[in-house]
Amino acid sequence: MNLRVVGANLVVSLKSFYREKTAVFFRIAFPVLLILVFGTIFMDQDDRSFDLYVQDLDQTKSSAQLVETIELSDRFKITTIAPATSATQYAKDHKLNLVLSIPEGFEKSLMQRMALGDPDASVTFTVVYDPSSSAASTKMQALDSLLAGINQEMSGKPPFIRSDKTSILAKKYRFIEFFVPGIIAMTVMTSSLFGAVNVNAELRQKGVIRKLSTTPITRTDWILSNILYQFILAVLATMVILLVSYAAFHVSLQINAWLPVFVVLDVFAFVGLGMILTRVAKEAESAAAAANAFMFPMMFLSGTFFPVEMMPGFLQKFARILPLYYVNEGLRASMVSVDHVAALEYAAVIGVFAAVVFVLGLMTTTLSEEAT
Amino acid sequence: MTREAEHVIEVENLTKRYGELLAVNDISFTVRKGEVFAFLGANGAGKTTTVEIIETIRTPTSGKVRLLGMDVTKKKRDLVHRIGVLPQGFSSFDRITVRETLQYYSRLFGCRHTDVAGLIALVDLKDKTQEQFKNLSGGLKQRLGIAVALVNDPEVVFLDEPTTGLDPRARREVWKVLLDLKNKGKTIFLTTHYMEEAEFLADRVAIISKGKIIAMDSPGKLIESNANYMVLTLQSVEKKASEIIRKIGFEPVHDNHWNLKVRLERADDVQKILSAIQAGGATFIGLDVRKPNLEEVFLRLTGEALHEDPAGERGAE
Repeated sequence: MNLRVVGANLVVSLKSFYREKTAVFFRIAFPVLLILVFGTIFMDQDDRSFDLYVQDLDQTKSSAQLVETIELSDRFKITTIAPATSATQYAKDHKLNLVLSIPEGFEKSLMQRMALGDPDASVTFTVVYDPSSSAASTKMQALDSLLAGINQEMSGKPPFIRSDKTSILAKKYRFIEFFVPGIIAMTVMTSSLFGAVNVNAELRQKGVIRKLSTTPITRTDWILSNILYQFILAVLATMVILLVSYAAFHVSLQINAWLPVFVVLDVFAFVGLGMILTRVAKEAESAAAAANAFMFPMMFLSGTFFPVEMMPGFLQKFARILPLYYVNEGLRASMVSVDHVAALEYAAVIGVFAAVVFVLGLMTTTLSEEAT
Repeated sequence: MTREAEHVIEVENLTKRYGELLAVNDISFTVRKGEVFAFLGANGAGKTTTVEIIETIRTPTSGKVRLLGMDVTKKKRDLVHRIGVLPQGFSSFDRITVRETLQYYSRLFGCRHTDVAGLIALVDLKDKTQEQFKNLSGGLKQRLGIAVALVNDPEVVFLDEPTTGLDPRARREVWKVLLDLKNKGKTIFLTTHYMEEAEFLADRVAIISKGKIIAMDSPGKLIESNANYMVLTLQSVEKKASEIIRKIGFEPVHDNHWNLKVRLERADDVQKILSAIQAGGATFIGLDVRKPNLEEVFLRLTGEALHEDPAGERGAE
């Protein structure tokens, strides 16, 4: 191994990267955009309020008070609809996913129940909803929960069963704090996988490797400089993602020694996989297609964007054979739940995978033209 | 004088197979120190395979190849420091400038005192030092490739199809650089399918066809020994003329410019051919009769026309 040669190769790789604006965007700016977009969407999800359209057909002081009570719950922002309008037609015309209609006689029934003690006095609200809207069911659940609370209050008796929620984590975490480790794992994966594929397949196809094979550079120098290059990019991307997450969302994440461990394992695992793919698919285009075939299932099925537990059973089993799952979970164990034992277990799995894949990658990578 | 001083390249019974394909078939030749040796052949003749074996890029199936007195299969690490290579269709890192490319290769060779500015001046790229590789024209890329091949001040320079794909002006610019190298006394191993290139630059030429060397000598001697005849060239001739000429007992050959060449053995052959063409109603734009050049010698020896491969030859030929 010749450090001068490794250094020269590293400098050329970094200059090429810096001058390729598209590469800078996709490797650094793209994950930052993902963080900003998803972070904003899911920011303060627990305290999220919904838009609710209410039609008050009763038009009494009691019905107005009810609307005010719903609004004061902070779960809904109320917009009222004129009583003369058809609620169903209004929802269709204005593409609303849910309209609550308070029926005529609400106050009368309320008085019968509250003042006269008539237990049979009740009222039925009409909820007009769009079943094709996924948000409608969430909104209905929130509304049912609120109405159940009002019913309970009106009964005048304290609830018999209460629940006390206790998180398994030491403190309350938000979605963004679960999301950031996944984005770090995914960014390092794509950067390493495509970096290895581009360097090895594209330069071979262009004939640069053929020229290099007539110079003193060795296979070890070549692979080491590429690994260092990918590691520098991975560290850079991780730092930028963390800085943006702290600055924009004030995330609360534990940064400990596990972070560089998982980043290194992520780099080795996917650079190794990239080197193997380059050997199997010799053309740059087919190697990139093969890399995509590996990357997309991992991006969407290994728990980067949403928890694996949300998936059907067979997909959960599939997720557990994907290497990125162990990087995702390992980073979350170290940065979110600070569970060192779990982090060690995940690191062991991805470590074994990285070692096997990287050794296979080393065996298949050559600067010689003979194997082409 | 030692053997190495006499012969920097010694190839003995070299054979290379790619599966069933016999790319190089038992060839032997030597290259002397300080000479420009041209390997001349059509696409697929075995030129690049041979040169890549000598350059240590490929391994021979059988035979011996010694470069600078060393076995190329055993001394790659020592040899790469002493040779310079311009591979076919030279390419480099797209976003690295001319100067940075030369500095990069200089570092790979561990050369502390490479005269980068001198190399840039040699290949006449002074105006392009800050230009990225991707922005260079084909001719400029080839000139940079030649400069890269010289960063380690090599004893032997291998240039594989240095002017393929270049326009005539760019080709002549590269020739000028190669002439400068020749005048500096470098040993140059040149593979080409351009006859005029070999005739203009080479001290000796080996003609290779279907993996076999079929003739080897200086261009002048090759012409002299293979050309005790004259050549009639009919320019932009109609296709049917070829059949007419064949019917009266001559063997016309099309060259790559849509011209027809006919070998003349006797003084009255021209009259015979022109009369037959006139009688057959075929037309042509012009004609000339002269001594053959290297191209005609090549055509006569190989029976192959030389064609430009726009994509360049890649890999095993």
